[in-house]
Amino acid sequence: MILLQSPSRFLLQILHDRLLSQDKGVDIDCQTVEFDDVRYHIQVSMRNPKVLVLSVALPLPPEEAASFDGLPFGAIEAIKAAYGPVVQILDPPKDGFDLTLKINLAKLPSDEEQKNAILLQIASIREVVLGAPLKILLKNLSMKTVGPEAGQPVALVHRPNESFFVVPQADKATVVYPMRFLDSIDIVLATSFLQEFVEARRTAALNNAPACMWSQSPPPELKGAPESALTANAGFVTFVVNPRHVEGKKLDRTVWNLLTFHAYVSYHVKCSEGFMHTRMRRRVDTLIQALDRAKSDAEKLKKMVTGPSFKKWFVI
Amino acid sequence: MTSISSYLAPHGPHLSPRRHLRQRNWVSHPLILLLFILDFLAQTYLIDSCRYSKLGFAGNSEPSFILPTVVGVNDSFLKNLRQTDSSDTANWLAQYNAGVMADLDFHIGDDALSKSGGIYTIDRPIRYSQVENWDTLEKFWQQSMYNYLRCDPEEHYFLLTDSPVTSPESREYMGEIMFETFNVPGLYIAVQSMLTLAAGYSTPNSDMTGVVVDIGDGAPQVVPVVNGYVIGSSMKSFPISGNDVTRFVLQLLQERGELIPPEDSMETARKIKEAYCYSCTDIVKEFERHDKKPDKYIKLWSGRKPKTGVPYSVDVGYERFLGPEIFFNPEIYCSDFITPLPDLIDMCVQSSPIDTRRALYKNIVLAGGGTIFKDFYKRLQNSVKKIVDDRIAANTARLGLDVKPQPVEVNVASNPIQGYAAWFGGSVVASLPEFYDSCHTKEEYEEYGASICRTSPIFKGMY
Repeated sequence: MILLQSPSRFLLQILHDRLLSQDKGVDIDCQTVEFDDVRYHIQVSMRNPKVLVLSVALPLPPEEAASFDGLPFGAIEAIKAAYGPVVQILDPPKDGFDLTLKINLAKLPSDEEQKNAILLQIASIREVVLGAPLKILLKNLSMKTVGPEAGQPVALVHRPNESFFVVPQADKATVVYPMRFLDSIDIVLATSFLQEFVEARRTAALNNAPACMWSQSPPPELKGAPESALTANAGFVTFVVNPRHVEGKKLDRTVWNLLTFHAYVSYHVKCSEGFMHTRMRRRVDTLIQALDRAKSDAEKLKKMVTGPSFKKWFVI
Repeated sequence: MTSISSYLAPHGPHLSPRRHLRQRNWVSHPLILLLFILDFLAQTYLIDSCRYSKLGFAGNSEPSFILPTVVGVNDSFLKNLRQTDSSDTANWLAQYNAGVMADLDFHIGDDALSKSGGIYTIDRPIRYSQVENWDTLEKFWQQSMYNYLRCDPEEHYFLLTDSPVTSPESREYMGEIMFETFNVPGLYIAVQSMLTLAAGYSTPNSDMTGVVVDIGDGAPQVVPVVNGYVIGSSMKSFPISGNDVTRFVLQLLQERGELIPPEDSMETARKIKEAYCYSCTDIVKEFERHDKKPDKYIKLWSGRKPKTGVPYSVDVGYERFLGPEIFFNPEIYCSDFITPLPDLIDMCVQSSPIDTRRALYKNIVLAGGGTIFKDFYKRLQNSVKKIVDDRIAANTARLGLDVKPQPVEVNVASNPIQGYAAWFGGSVVASLPEFYDSCHTKEEYEEYGASICRTSPIFKGMY
């Protein structure tokens, strides 16, 4: 699995289970957390077995990101457009959460395909809500119209107290991420990963992908942004998105990938650390074999009786 | 926490109400419990068992995911190499040539099982409660964190569990992987038995003293725990597990001539066991009951042959109570182990320190998927009580005492969540405020090294 997937597995599992067993089952009351500090709370009570209450809490936005009533710009319209009558927004949201939805399973379309599609959409609630402002900007791009913020960097919420910037223009949109990591090893790995990223883009097979650049200092597109947002210990990554990347079905995928970029990079950094451990363990094994070969025969006989002679005490 | 307290009231030993939602409620011996804690709120868990892992966040009353602990790895590039040269450089070159995607091309859990047979080879990193393959385990954790639980390990504290027999080195390795690869801020490695007692469904104020009878799919054990500490010398292990019950049921069915498709036999037997088996009080009476009223007791199991799709049906009769009977009379199943489970529990308590024995008898806790048979706890309680009472009576008669000793109270506790009792106990424990102080933190790890993970402090916050 290379890319992080859009629907939350846990939510999807609960929704499917509820569907399969409409009238049996027990109350569910679960809290889950996703990366970047998104929290879900899902509740089903046996008094209304067909109604699920799902509450979502979003990461704290930094000061420069525009927020409209606690939710990202355009989120409510996006929810209504995506789900239709199945979902109803409860106002005010539950304590400690930013958004509460009431999902009515009785109103799902009866066709199997459409039902599954809507459940998948509900499980991707994070993409719909957090991605709403980005979707609006990119939709403008695909329709080749220009919103009121042409040429200015727009800050959108990426992680708690961090934002990423989108500079919309008539024929392209530039997306800039300041990358920050906590651990020093992570910073080093992330920097080399991102530079490899840029290198890999240059291979011939990926000509259709958005252009990608990495630089240590803030790129010139971010001139209008506030200073606090411009410190990044793993450099700045810039993508240039063209209209053909956001037409039709590709819009959703593009929005999701851009939204979770930091989580993606962090996942791959962790994977690389894991695989380095694998290589190191193999190396230690070969070294132990070499040491065992160097033993004299008398010691080898003794070894047969008692077991392996050199024990691996460390993983690394 | 109202949802958790509703589980603390002991119900009768019926199958968990969510059974129809998860076929695999008969989860087996939990080995490692992973708990993630978000600094303000939810905490997550992940239990690795020999067969099943239970993942989830603390504060919830059941795990978010229960996955089989398997990893399906794409080793095809290595296989091509094996005929010629197995040196390391050749391996690495092959892996490099296989492309950058090869490393990440693996699946875990149910996905791995369904995709097996093709280019993916199945690997089980944990066998008989010991970790055999750390690489695969690391991969398993990686996928479960990023794909299933979808959380960033840097933001959460983790609770891992292991069985009482794991070595301290193994705990060191676990700590190393967690801190180095995943950069977790805090880690606590708990013993499953302690968490099962912390689940608190046995006594209203659980005092972390009791005998945990853990029968899963792996290595069942009888573990006495006193004040949160496992008494290692009194631990007894029982070689018959849930898997053996399945095999015995299958054996009986096949001996009687029932037609079960051979490619699916273990699966079918397992489903029959989960659906129809129960524990009886007396075999002879049970045989009589079955013979007198066959239509009430004999059940019909119908299924479809996987290859041809042809439906078949199987009569299930005596197997229903003979299956779980092997715990109480192992000689009907195998001839080299004949100590019944109640005797083993008794031996275990008698070998513990004398001042703890009454408390241990009072709090025998069942855990694991193999104990969810109907009326299992009643049968166990009666058997153990009988042994204890007989012994006291014999002692009194022999010594000619005037004052009768106080009768020993024997209680076997059971609860619908005992399938994942250790996970639930972990969820409860990790929701306590003292938990954060008891974890090993990353700063400690960087200062002192992995040896801090060898032991974890016991804290009693359950009062």
